Amino acid sequence: MAGLVQDIDLMQPDLPILRYWRDRGKKAFEQQGVPTVKTEAWRYTKPRDLNSDDFVLSTSLPIITCSQQEEQIPFPCYPIIFENGIFYSQAKEIPSGLKVMPLVDALFQKIEIQEKLGSNLEVETHPFAALNTFYLKQGVYIQVESNVELDRPIVLINHSSVGPENLFFNLHNVIVLDKGAKAEIVEYYNYNGALKSRYFANIVNEIFLAPCAELQHYKMQNEAFKANHVAYNCVEVEKEATYKAFCLQRGANIGRNETRVLLKDKGAKTTVNAAYMMNGWATLDTTTDVEHLSEETYSSQLIKGVVGGEARGVFQGKIHIAPHAVKTQGSQLHKALLLSDTAEIDVKPELEIFADDVKCSHGAASGELDEEQLFYMQSRGIDREEAKQILIDAYLDDVISQIENENVKTWIKSFL
Amino acid sequence: MNMKNKPQIIDEGGDKYKYGFVTDIESETVPSGLNENVIRLISTIKEEPEWLLEWRLKAYNFWKTMSEPTWAKLKYDKIDYQGLSYYSAPKQKVAPQSLQEVDPELLKTYEKLGIPLKEQEVLAGVVAVDAVFDSVSVATTYREKLAEKGVIFCSISEAIKKHPNLVRQYLGSVVPYTDNFFACLNSAVFTDGSFVYIPKGVKCPMELSTYFRINAKNTGQFERTLIVADEDSYVSYLEGCTAPQRDENQLHAAIVEIVVLKDAEVKYSTVQNWYPGDKDGKGGVYNFVTKRAACRGDNSKISWTQVETGSAVTWKYPSCVLQGDNSVGEFYSVAITNNYQQADTGTKMLHIGKNTSSKIISKGISAGFSNQTYRGLVKVSPSASGARNYSQCDSLLIGDTCGSHTVPYIENRNKSAVLEHEATTSKISDEQLFYCRQRGISEEEAVSLIVNGFCKEVMQQLPMEFAIEAAKLINISLEGSVG
Repeated sequence: MAGLVQDIDLMQPDLPILRYWRDRGKKAFEQQGVPTVKTEAWRYTKPRDLNSDDFVLSTSLPIITCSQQEEQIPFPCYPIIFENGIFYSQAKEIPSGLKVMPLVDALFQKIEIQEKLGSNLEVETHPFAALNTFYLKQGVYIQVESNVELDRPIVLINHSSVGPENLFFNLHNVIVLDKGAKAEIVEYYNYNGALKSRYFANIVNEIFLAPCAELQHYKMQNEAFKANHVAYNCVEVEKEATYKAFCLQRGANIGRNETRVLLKDKGAKTTVNAAYMMNGWATLDTTTDVEHLSEETYSSQLIKGVVGGEARGVFQGKIHIAPHAVKTQGSQLHKALLLSDTAEIDVKPELEIFADDVKCSHGAASGELDEEQLFYMQSRGIDREEAKQILIDAYLDDVISQIENENVKTWIKSFL
Repeated sequence: MNMKNKPQIIDEGGDKYKYGFVTDIESETVPSGLNENVIRLISTIKEEPEWLLEWRLKAYNFWKTMSEPTWAKLKYDKIDYQGLSYYSAPKQKVAPQSLQEVDPELLKTYEKLGIPLKEQEVLAGVVAVDAVFDSVSVATTYREKLAEKGVIFCSISEAIKKHPNLVRQYLGSVVPYTDNFFACLNSAVFTDGSFVYIPKGVKCPMELSTYFRINAKNTGQFERTLIVADEDSYVSYLEGCTAPQRDENQLHAAIVEIVVLKDAEVKYSTVQNWYPGDKDGKGGVYNFVTKRAACRGDNSKISWTQVETGSAVTWKYPSCVLQGDNSVGEFYSVAITNNYQQADTGTKMLHIGKNTSSKIISKGISAGFSNQTYRGLVKVSPSASGARNYSQCDSLLIGDTCGSHTVPYIENRNKSAVLEHEATTSKISDEQLFYCRQRGISEEEAVSLIVNGFCKEVMQQLPMEFAIEAAKLINISLEGSVG
C-alpha cells in the first residue's frame, strides 16, 4: 500500500501499549487525513507534497552511514545519532543521573513511561502526531534524575541520506526531567548528499518537566531543500519549572515546528523563541500554543524571520489563559523581513483569555529592509549586498543572542 | 475593600433594556417558512422588477447548497430557518405619501425610541432619518432638502422603482450573493433598507441616519443598505437599531454595501443596541451582518465606526476593499458584552491599490459570563506597493468568568508594505480605581470613567449626537457588572 499509511509489519516488538497507540494513531490519522487549506491549523502551510504516494518508510540504516557525526558538533556534548530516522549510536560515556535508551526499551522496562506516553498529544486533532504514533517505534527516552545538572548538552542528530527512494520516517522522543534537574538538549536535523533529496521527517517530542526542573531546548533544522520536516513538541511544565526553547529553521520545502507548552502549576515559566531564514520556494512555519493552566505562570515568545525568493514565512501563535489562571503574564512578538516581491508572510497571533487579572500582549510587524539604513552604510563605503547582510544578521541577532549556551549560540550563528 | 464593595459580576437588572417594549400594531406577515413561493411573494408584494426576482431566486438556490459557518467562537442554538417568517410589515392600505399618513402608533414608537421623525421637531435639520420597522421602511425625512443637492436618500424598495439603473449597477457588486451564508440568505429574502446616492462633487449637507426596529414576533429582519458615493462626494451615515424584549431569539441578517468612487469619502457609524437577552442569557437578537465597502476610486476613503452593545450573538466584520490607489480604510470599534452575550467581530482590510493605508482600533470590554472575540484580516496583495496598516486591539476584562479573545490574520505579499499589529488584554487597573476612589468617586462611576477613557479613541470618531448616546449606552451595558 502506498501513501503515508503503509502496511508494514511494525508490530515487533509487541507490547500492548505500542499496539494501543498504533491503533489509535492509525484511526486518528485516517479520520483527519493530510491537512488541506481548509484545516484551520494548516491554512497557510499547505502540505500538498505530503499527499503524494511515493514515500517509502525508512526501515533500515543506510548502507553508508555518517559515522563521523560527533565531529560535526563543535562543542562537547552527549550525542545520540539517528540515520534516516533509525537509531544508530549514542554517546559512550553517559554520566550518572542521565538515562538514555531507545524508547521501545524504556516502555518495556518502565511502567511510568507508559502512563506518560502520549498524555498531552491530542492525536485526534493533530494528524501528523497521529501518523507518528501509528509508526511508534523509533526514538529515544531521555531521563535526567532529580537535582542532576548536566555538564554538557545532549545532542540528538538525525542525518538523512539520499537514496533512490523518497524516504519517510517518524521519530518519537520522550524527555523527562525529574525534580530540580537541569539539562540542555540540542536537536540537529541535517542531510547527506544531494541538496535535492526529497524525504519526509515527522518528529514528535514529548517533554515532561517535574517541579523546579529546567530545560533548554535548541533546535537546528537544516534539511535538504526539497525535504519536508514536520515537528510537534509537546511540553508539560510543572510548578516552578522552566522550559526555554529556540529553533532556527534554515532548510526544507515545508518546515513546520509546532510547540505546545502546558504551564500546569504556579510559577511555571516558558520562553519559546524561534527564527527562520529562507530563499527559494520553502514554507517555514512556526506554530506555538502556550496554555496557561494555573495562576502565576509566565510565557514569552519572540519569533523573527527573513524570507526572500518565493518563500513563505508562517507564524501561528496562541496564548491561552484558562479560567482562574490569574496573575499570569504572556507576551508574544513576531517580526518578519521580506526581501523580495514574491515572498510572503502570513501571521495569525491569537489570544484566548478566560481570566481577568492577567497581562497579555502580542505584536506582529513585517516590512522590508530600511532604505535609510542601507544608504547610511553605503555612504560609508560598505557595498549594498554586504550592508543588506549586516542588517539581516542584526535583525536575527535580536533573538539568537538570547541563547544562553555560548557554544550553542556560536554554532547556530554559523548557519546564517 | 469590604464585602459590600466587592465587584458583583452578574447584572441584576437584565431588564435595563429600555427599548424592550412591543408596539401593538396590526401587521401583515407572510407565513413562516422559506421556499421559492415565499420569495416570489415578497417580490410581488414589493412590486419588484423581474431581474430582481431572478437574482433573489439565484441567491436562494445557491443558499441551499451552503452551510452555516462554524468558525466563529460563538455558541448558539441552531436557527430554524423554516420556522421564521421572512416578511412582516405594518398594515397599511396605501403607501404613505407624507408623514401625516403614517400610522400614529408607529410614530409613537419612534418617539419613544427618541428618533425624531416629524421634521418640525428636529432641531434645524441636522439629521435626515430613514426608519425601518420590521421589514419595511416607514418614513424618510428631509427628502426635499436633500433632493435639492441631488442626494437620493430613500428606502431601497423605492430606489428599485425610481432609480432601477443605479440599483442594478451596484446591488451585489460589493457583497455578491455567493459571499457567505448569511449574505446569501439576505440576498434571497431582503425586504427593505436604505439607499443613498451622493452625486459627483456633493458634500451631503446633513448626516443621514437609518433606524432599524424589529417588532413582530418570530420574524427575521433582513435589510439591505446600499450607499454609493460618486466622485469627490462626502457623506456621514448613522445607523441605530433596537428590538423588543422577547424570550425567543430573533434573527437579523443584514447587508451594508458601500461603493466609494474617486476622491469620495464615506463615514459610516453604527450604534448597535439590539435586545441582548436577559441576565440568564434567554432571548436576544442573533445579529449576523455583512458590511463591506469598496474604495473603487483613487484617493477614496471609508471609515467604519461601531459601538456594539446589544445582541445576544454578534457576527460582524465591516470590511474595506482598498482598490483605488492611495485609498484609506479605517475601522474603529467598541464592543461591550455583559451577562451571556457573545460577540465575534472585527474587520477585513484588503489592500489592492498602491499606497493604500488602513487603521484598525478595536476596544473590547467583556463582563459577566460573556465572550468576545476580535477577528480581523489584513491582506496585502502583491500589487499593493507602499501599503500601510496599523492595528491595535485592546481588551478589558471585568470579572473572571468572561472571556476575551483576539484572532488577527495578517497576510503580506508585498515587501514594501509596512504592517504593525498590537494587542493587549488586561483588567481595570487597581491603581486607577484606587486613584478615583481616593478622590471620592464611587466605584461604579470610577469604572465607567475608566471604561470611557479606554474607549475614547473610538468614541471621538462618532458624530456628536451619537457620541453622547453611545457613552450613555456603555454605562447602561456595564451597570451592575461592578458593585
